[in-house]
Amino acid sequence: MIEDHELDIWREQWGSVAESSPEFQRKIQQRIKLQERRFLLGNVLSAVALMGILVFAVVIRHQASWLGTGWATGICVLVFVSAGYRLWVLRGTWRPEIQSTRAFVELWHRRVLARLQLLRISIYVAVGWIITCAALTAANWTTLKPDVKVHPTDWFEVLLASVLMQPVIWFWAAWLRRRKVAELNEVKKTLHEMDGVPD
Amino acid sequence: MSENRRALEQQFGRILGEHGAAISRLAYSYEVVASVREELVQEIALAIWQALAHFRGECSERTFVYRIAHNRGLTHVWRRRAPHQPLHDLEESDEPADPRPHPEAQAAQTNQRARLMSAIQSLPMTHRQMIVMMLEGLSHAEMGEVLGITENNVAVRLTRARKALKDAIGVRP
Repeated sequence: MIEDHELDIWREQWGSVAESSPEFQRKIQQRIKLQERRFLLGNVLSAVALMGILVFAVVIRHQASWLGTGWATGICVLVFVSAGYRLWVLRGTWRPEIQSTRAFVELWHRRVLARLQLLRISIYVAVGWIITCAALTAANWTTLKPDVKVHPTDWFEVLLASVLMQPVIWFWAAWLRRRKVAELNEVKKTLHEMDGVPD
Repeated sequence: MSENRRALEQQFGRILGEHGAAISRLAYSYEVVASVREELVQEIALAIWQALAHFRGECSERTFVYRIAHNRGLTHVWRRRAPHQPLHDLEESDEPADPRPHPEAQAAQTNQRARLMSAIQSLPMTHRQMIVMMLEGLSHAEMGEVLGITENNVAVRLTRARKALKDAIGVRP
């Protein structure tokens, strides 16, 4: 009886914590419209970016050197392999919302692990891409050399930009990895808490 | 606008009307900062809207809402990892308006509510989820459906969570 009374008091206190605001539904409707527009815009931009990359690849393919062919092939392989690998790694990790909390936590654990795996592979791919570009430039040096002599400043700027981009990319990757590792630790903690009571 | 979309919007509006306050209260257990909490409530509502089209009545509507709300709350905590702030330090605007005329009684009630909220916030996540559902009046079967555990397990966890809450309220000023 005492415990029920205690529960009634808690419920009364809890019930007065938050009331439904009349503005709530209007804000949600606005948020939904915004989200739907963002989703549509995101899909359109992704499609345009993909098409742009492929058109660029086709255009440089027609340059009369190994450089154009190499880059075109490299870009196509990079785009399709990355997209395919991403779909493969993230398979089965979509639409987790309706599931029970237990199933959701397990699914999110797999999802974070998949994201970390993607991040690791992305770093290898980035390094591989730099090596490929360097190798292509070296292989085509005889073709490129006259242009470098005519426009040394332009080539220096390209080289400088490429070098300066590296620390930015590495910093971003390290920051993202730290965040994902922290998220993984939190998910593991929740899983551990859930396993605390045997079924 | 299609008939299907209109029906979904009506269902969504009804769900928000019935469970809107409960969602707001649940968000209190996951987020202390008022502005961020409002964002979380909107995220939960948005997730309900997105999942509604795929809801085929595999569970009750209440279970459906609580599953999504808890799952979103968890994601919020995992991603944000905000340091815990005691709820009794909340600014005045965070407290709902209390229309009762006696200031002393109102202050006492506000203090007790703040202690309860602070104690809930200090609990481990699984205890917190059990307590919130208990306070919202969910049955053991519904809690089991939301969390994906058996009713026996719910009873064991609820006893532990309730004891932890009493201890937490006891040690708080």
